[in-house]
Amino acid sequence: MRKICILGVTAAVLALAWAGLAAAAEPVSRFVDKVLPFENLETAGYFKNETALSLAGFDEFYKILNIVDFKANYKFNDRVELFGEIKLFYDAVYDVEGSYRDLVNKEKNTKLQLPVKTEWIRQAFLDVYMDRVDLRLGKQQVVWGTTDGVRILDLVNPLDYREWTLNEYPEMRIPLWMANVETELNPNSHIQLLLIPDYQANYYPPAGSPYAPRTVVIGAESANQPFVTVTTIDEKPSRNLENTKIGLRWRNVVEGGYLSGLEYTLNYLHTYDFASSAYTRTTVNINPFGPPDIQVKLTRRAEQIEVIGGSFSKSITEGIIGDLGKGWTVRGEYAYIANGAMNYGTDKNIVGTVDVDQFNYAIGLDKVFLTDLQFSLQFIQLIAHATEDFDKSQYTLLFGPTRGPLDKVENLITLKLSKDFMHERLKPEVLIIYTDDNDWRISPAVSFELNDNWMVASGLHIFEGDSAHLHGEFDKVDQVFFETTYSW
Amino acid sequence: MTRRVAVFAALVIFCCASGGMAAELEYYKVYKPETGMTADEIMQIVYHNKYSLFARDYDLPESEIFYVDPSGLVRTKLAERYRKVEGGSNDIQYKDLVVVTHPTSVKGLAILTWTFQNPERDQDVWLWIPAIKKVRKISASEDDDAFMGSDLTVEEVSTRRFEDETYRLIGEKDFDGYRFEHTGEMKFQGRPCFVIEAEPVNPHWYYAKRTVWVDKEMGGAIFEEYEDRNGDIFKTIYREWDWYTQGDLRYPTQNAIECKDQRTGHRTVVLNKNQKYDEGLDDSTFSLRTLQRSKW
Repeated sequence: MRKICILGVTAAVLALAWAGLAAAAEPVSRFVDKVLPFENLETAGYFKNETALSLAGFDEFYKILNIVDFKANYKFNDRVELFGEIKLFYDAVYDVEGSYRDLVNKEKNTKLQLPVKTEWIRQAFLDVYMDRVDLRLGKQQVVWGTTDGVRILDLVNPLDYREWTLNEYPEMRIPLWMANVETELNPNSHIQLLLIPDYQANYYPPAGSPYAPRTVVIGAESANQPFVTVTTIDEKPSRNLENTKIGLRWRNVVEGGYLSGLEYTLNYLHTYDFASSAYTRTTVNINPFGPPDIQVKLTRRAEQIEVIGGSFSKSITEGIIGDLGKGWTVRGEYAYIANGAMNYGTDKNIVGTVDVDQFNYAIGLDKVFLTDLQFSLQFIQLIAHATEDFDKSQYTLLFGPTRGPLDKVENLITLKLSKDFMHERLKPEVLIIYTDDNDWRISPAVSFELNDNWMVASGLHIFEGDSAHLHGEFDKVDQVFFETTYSW
Repeated sequence: MTRRVAVFAALVIFCCASGGMAAELEYYKVYKPETGMTADEIMQIVYHNKYSLFARDYDLPESEIFYVDPSGLVRTKLAERYRKVEGGSNDIQYKDLVVVTHPTSVKGLAILTWTFQNPERDQDVWLWIPAIKKVRKISASEDDDAFMGSDLTVEEVSTRRFEDETYRLIGEKDFDGYRFEHTGEMKFQGRPCFVIEAEPVNPHWYYAKRTVWVDKEMGGAIFEEYEDRNGDIFKTIYREWDWYTQGDLRYPTQNAIECKDQRTGHRTVVLNKNQKYDEGLDDSTFSLRTLQRSKW
């Protein structure tokens, strides 16, 4: 009943807001212009509601998220600008669904219902444009690589997995305070230097929330066993000069010749792993007069890693033979990650932790077919190699988010098809992700632009597979979602 | 007069060398169609003007695009556009940068395009989508795709070349005038024009024929009618040309476009404001670094 009331009120508020705002053209932007009457100030923003509920029975909400986003750019002159973005949210599901309400009451700072600390500052930076140098100082995201929806070289910012990977990556990335300097060697060749004193770990939602990874759930179950006491120690790099992360990228676009239009990068990143490695030490104290006392000391350590990688993209503008290949874009990226660490053991059970190097790469193919049908296919391989010995006859490396066995080589294929109709107002699309463990995610969606300000969208996220794998762990969270956005 | 002689001389030389084909026009020069020219020669001037190959660069700080539904719903996009004519260096004819500034849902979207001299070659296109915060190399759209969801196709805006059609001069006529629906004004009534019939080389293209009215004074196509296989007109495009003058410069420039789908009644209106030429745009403007500056 409570759910129905809240939903009814939400629907009524949205309907009233829509009617009111539709009656007056862009009232929010006019209001903002009045309140902030600065000639060189440009603003934009949106209100958004995202609601998702269980596809099985439509009886459980996974989110009733309400967002207010506000961006502003102040231009001091042609060379200096200040940009900021504030994002506030309230997820009503933690008041509507009993189990989630209990979770928020039990665990403070879950970050799931409301932003905590300064998380509401999504971006805040000063831009200085010089003739051959761009300087961006402040809280920001930096994206490397050419792959969509899968992380190979995009390792500068940590991620927020509150909705696993259903959110768009710019929403998932946790912005960091850094200095970002891009120098132009010539108009087609640039060197980027990143100095990042800030550190934050990836965020994984707690057990009991809709998208709690299996490893978190297993950990919580273990901690709740009788006679077990778990002590967790987080070893994070402190924010000082010594721990400053450094990134370097050289990017070049070939102009002229057979490879004209080829864009490639070479990247280096000296950083800390945002997914902490878990080191456990268990002590069992036998009590002759009672149950044993089991002490588990869990140390989560951010390993210092080195990343060497690169990326490329090239459109085939002239057919290879005749028109063969013409119109395709080929893109790819790779990353060699040295000095990382992973757990090993059996499904659900960690035996130990070993040093691991990883080599990950992706190849993508894009083309526009027929009339505006966008086709995008990606093939990804993730290869983990332990550089320390462990008993491979009994154990395997474990996949971090699920604590399930990790193959020596994990293969993924993603396919995205999209098209638009009605002068780009109606946009259907489907994203399919398949991994070689017969593990799937299918996400069809459709969005419709009502006018310049209002957009509605709806779709499904369907997970399929074994719980030890990337998507199968959320097999029970199949959902239908609805989004309404008012932007100004 | 000098210009006319130069064009004629160039045409004669080229015709002798290439067995009757029209001449390649020189970059950074203004040409004007003249009575006595062939349909091919006139259409080359039309393309020369359409892509402003007479200028070194082009700065369009404000372009308004209106999508007008027959129901009365009007959606608006605002964009900035910059072009640098490379004159064939590394086979590049020109580089184009378009930055969308409205509405918020696509604000900051920026597209960098290299268009090549070789007509068989697709464009190279880079896209900066602020929502994904990275530069993406994308496949060139199909030429018959809608341009940014408008009634205009991609080739009608940026990829159609002289070589894509064959041309026939119908005659010289005074234009009946076009009622510009956006303002209700009658435009170019009684204007002397060349009337040219153009058929696509690809026999299976989205139109069977188009009739082009070329303004004699400015060499711009002011009106086009697109016919299907049944001879029915399914689309019209009106382009408003005017002279841009700045000091000694005098260039033909497009101030407005109105494209109407005669089957659905939907139309797209483009208004170009405060256009400038030969401002000395820096090569760096057309780089991935500039794309990334686009926020939002």
